[in-house]
Formats: sequence, C-alpha cells, structure tokens
Amino acid sequence: MDFLAPHLPLLDLIFIGTGYALSQAIVFRAGTFSVATSGFAALGAYCTAILTVKHGLHPAMAVGLGTMLGLLSGLLLSMPLARLRGVYQAIASLAFVEILVAFILFFEDLTGGPLGFHNIPRLVTPWMLFAAMVGTMGLLIVLGQGGIGRAFDAMRQDPAVAASLGVNPTKYHVLSFSLSGGIAGLFGGLDALRNFSLSAEQFGFSILIATLSAVVLGGRRTVIGPLVGVTILVLLPEIFRPLAAYRQAIYGLLLVVVMAYLPFGVFDSLVMRLHNRRLVRAGILAPKARSS
Amino acid sequence: MSSLLLQGVGKRFGGLQAVSPFDMEIARGKITGLIGPNGAGKTTVVNLITGVYKLSQGRILYGNVDLTEAPRHEVARAGLARTYQTIRLLPDATVVANVMIGMYRHQKASLLAQLFGLPSSRAETARFRDEVFRLLDRFGMTRYADYPAGALSYGDQRRVEMMRALALKPEVLLLDEPVAGINDVEAAKLGEIFRSLAIDGDGMAVLLIEHNMRFVTNLCDYVYVLDSGELIAQGSAEEVVNNPIVVTAYLGDDVDA
Repeated sequence: MDFLAPHLPLLDLIFIGTGYALSQAIVFRAGTFSVATSGFAALGAYCTAILTVKHGLHPAMAVGLGTMLGLLSGLLLSMPLARLRGVYQAIASLAFVEILVAFILFFEDLTGGPLGFHNIPRLVTPWMLFAAMVGTMGLLIVLGQGGIGRAFDAMRQDPAVAASLGVNPTKYHVLSFSLSGGIAGLFGGLDALRNFSLSAEQFGFSILIATLSAVVLGGRRTVIGPLVGVTILVLLPEIFRPLAAYRQAIYGLLLVVVMAYLPFGVFDSLVMRLHNRRLVRAGILAPKARSS
Repeated sequence: MSSLLLQGVGKRFGGLQAVSPFDMEIARGKITGLIGPNGAGKTTVVNLITGVYKLSQGRILYGNVDLTEAPRHEVARAGLARTYQTIRLLPDATVVANVMIGMYRHQKASLLAQLFGLPSSRAETARFRDEVFRLLDRFGMTRYADYPAGALSYGDQRRVEMMRALALKPEVLLLDEPVAGINDVEAAKLGEIFRSLAIDGDGMAVLLIEHNMRFVTNLCDYVYVLDSGELIAQGSAEEVVNNPIVVTAYLGDDVDA
C-alpha cells in the first residue's frame, strides 16, 4: 500500500465526489432538475462538525444526524419545488443553495462565518469513504431494480403517461429529493471529518459545478457513470500537471467534446453502444441505427 | 356491476365550449363506441374522464367513487386505463419494461421493502414479470420482449401500448383510435381481443373511439356520435349509422348522388 500513500487524498476526493454525484444523479433519474446537492452537503457537513466539535457528540452519531438533516431538508424543499418544472426548478434549487451559503456566513457564532469552521478532528479513513460510496451505489442499484426504479424511469421519460398508469408524481418527487438530500448529507458529514476545516464557499458554486460536470461527463443513467465522471475530473489535473496553466481550458474543452459526441456521458454511452451492438447482432436493430 | 357514468359533462376552453354538456354510460361487459369527425372533441372526452383536463360542468361517477375532481393517478388507481391516439411509449426501454410500468397499480410491497430490495419487493417484481409475459403471449409478442419499444413497427407499438393499459387489469378501458394506421386484417384481430376483454371473458367496460364506421358497427353494442363538441346521436350501431344527422355530419350537406 506504500506506493498509494501519496495519492490517498485523491482517493478521498473521488469517493466523496462520487457520493455528491450520486445525490445529483438520483434526482435526474426521477426526471427532476434540481441542483440542491451542494446545499444538502453543506447542511450535513456543518451539522456534523458543530455536533462533534462544540457538543462533543460521537462522530458516527453526528454523521447520522447530518444525514437525517440532509434527508429532512430534501423532503421539505421538494414540496415547493414539486410545483415547478425544468429550468425553473433548477433556478429555485440554486436559490436554496445561495441562501444557505448566506446563512452560514451570517451565523458566525454557530458556523464561524466567513472565517470558516476549524479544528475538526480528522476521523474518517479512505476505507470508510469507500464503504459509504459502495453502500450508496448498492442502495441505488437495488432500488433502481424494483418498483421505485420503474416509477422514476416512467416519470423521467413521460410524466403524463406515468400519472395515467397510477404513478403519483408528488410521492416520487418527494422521494427522489429526500434520497438526494440524505446521500449529500451523509457525504457532507464525512467530508467535514476529513478536511480539518469547513468554509461556506466550498459548498457554493464550486461543488455544484463539479457535481454537474461529473454526472454529465460520466453518465446519469447508470450508477457507475457518476464514479467514472468524478474519477476523470479528479485525475485529469494530475495527469496534465505540466499543463497546469491551461487546466481550466482543458476542463472546458473536455466537457464540450463529451457533450457533443457522447451525449449520455463516457460510461453510459459505452454501455449503450455495447447494448446496441448486441441488438444489431441479434438482428433486432438495423446496423448503424441508433436509438436516441 | 357498476358502469362509468358521465352526467352533464362539458368542457370550456376560455370562451370556447369545446364539449357541450352531455350524458354517457360506459357499461361493463359492453363495448361502447364514440365516433365523430376530426375535431369533434372525442379525445377531449377521454382527457376529461382521465383527469388530464378539469371538468367545466358535470360529474363523473364510477360505482360509488366520484372521479370528477380526481387527479390522473387516482383515476388510474380506481381502475381506468387508457391508450393514446398518438402512441406514447418509452422508446428506449424494452417492451417488457414498458408493460411492467402498467403493473404499478398492483404494487403492494412497502416503500422500505422497495428501497432496500427486500424479498417481498423482489418476489413482486418476479411475479409482475411473469404476468407481463402472459400478456405478451396473448398478443403474440413474446419474441419482442427485449426489443427497445422504439424499434418496433407501428402496429406492434400499438400492441405494446394496449398491453401496458391491460397490465393495470382495468375495469374500464378507454381506447383512443386503437386501430388507426393498422391494416384491416390486423385490426380485425385486435377487434377480437377487444371483444374478449368486454363481452366474452373479462367483463371490462370498453370505450372505443374510432373514425372507421365499419369497425365500430361490427364491434360496438352502443354508439355515441359527437360533432363539433355536441352529442348529435346515440343508439345501437345500426340506428346510428342510418341516422340522417350522422350521415350529414360525416359526409356533409349536399349529398345528391
């Protein structure tokens, strides 16, 4: 394991980033367009940090409560957002994140305000993060195979048809937001116990953009897609270290190229291509025909 | 056996009376026809029944359930299923996945069981899959089970939509031009299936919206005729076909030949 040691922080980033990306992917799967993940993560992180440092709560308990807080805020946020669609939903959820960041800056006594929250013990190991990521992936795979997955898929592809088949749109809306909030709260809490300190800015636009990019890059239909996206985004700057000055440009270029040529993301497009090839071979699809 | 009752149901869009108040009974064990020229308001009637549109006037009753204000998913849960005039499948999903969604009404496993994939949820999914394959068999579609629905021919997509509606095991089935664009031989086969759903076996209440007069007269027990949002005639298929008002609505005024 020694040769890995210098790279362990990268693994941390991949595991936590994937957690956030999964929280984002689950709302996409249900056909809702929310970008509230970074807000839920902030709630989970500050809740865990405050309870651990200021109230001396057992860290595992604090992370659990941070997860619950994320879940509850997802549940509450879903109710007003259920009335909105598409880009309006995205803007409203963005407002939620911005308001939350403003509150963190304002309540200095509780959160440390603009100076940040410090002296958090580092208690999580890469293995814990790995276990949390795998557990979350497992949960999403399992629920995706049952009735919840069927309802999410129907709602995403045609909400009117889903409703006419008995799927209550509000119920699954609330469920997808709660799951998204719980997952982001969990990884936010773990993030807090990894990094010694927290700042409000880290949960603003930067996580939001990183998470969206990862999901777009890797894929949003499979559970592996977000992991692939995050891994690319974390490793890329390391590989291109000599070109560090052009890092942002390479980032942007990569995203544009992927969106233009692999619109479902690197991993999902690969899965679909293999699937289509199987169908062509079985004589089901005409060669070269692509299902959009 | 209760039937679906429409009492004085009407729909206004702003100042426009799209459908004037009318009464209708869609009885179980029968095929009820709803015919009329293009733009007569036939699809609007289905949209009113299924909660897509809110009623401007009247009430809709099913047994002792009042569906007047019910949202779409509650209408489906009460046992009403529909198909669409323009096919609406999930094109990337397989045929099985498309039909599986129709089983939603019979889902009993708790949310927790579904979340964590507990045995009750897994068993239910397996049972649904078996039932879907029985439906595929009935429609002669078993070999297409794993095809993406979008890759099927038009007629087969219609069949998938029909199977999805039947997966609800509905008591009332609303078919919006189910044989549009299908040749006569295939249409006759589907007609046999509709007959078996209503009259011979399952005892459903079937509402058949159609253009094709011949298809309607062969199948329907009772026919309503809509023209420009007005109910202009009703009765047995033969009465309606020979009704001069209906002939005028379909062919226009000045028929001399």
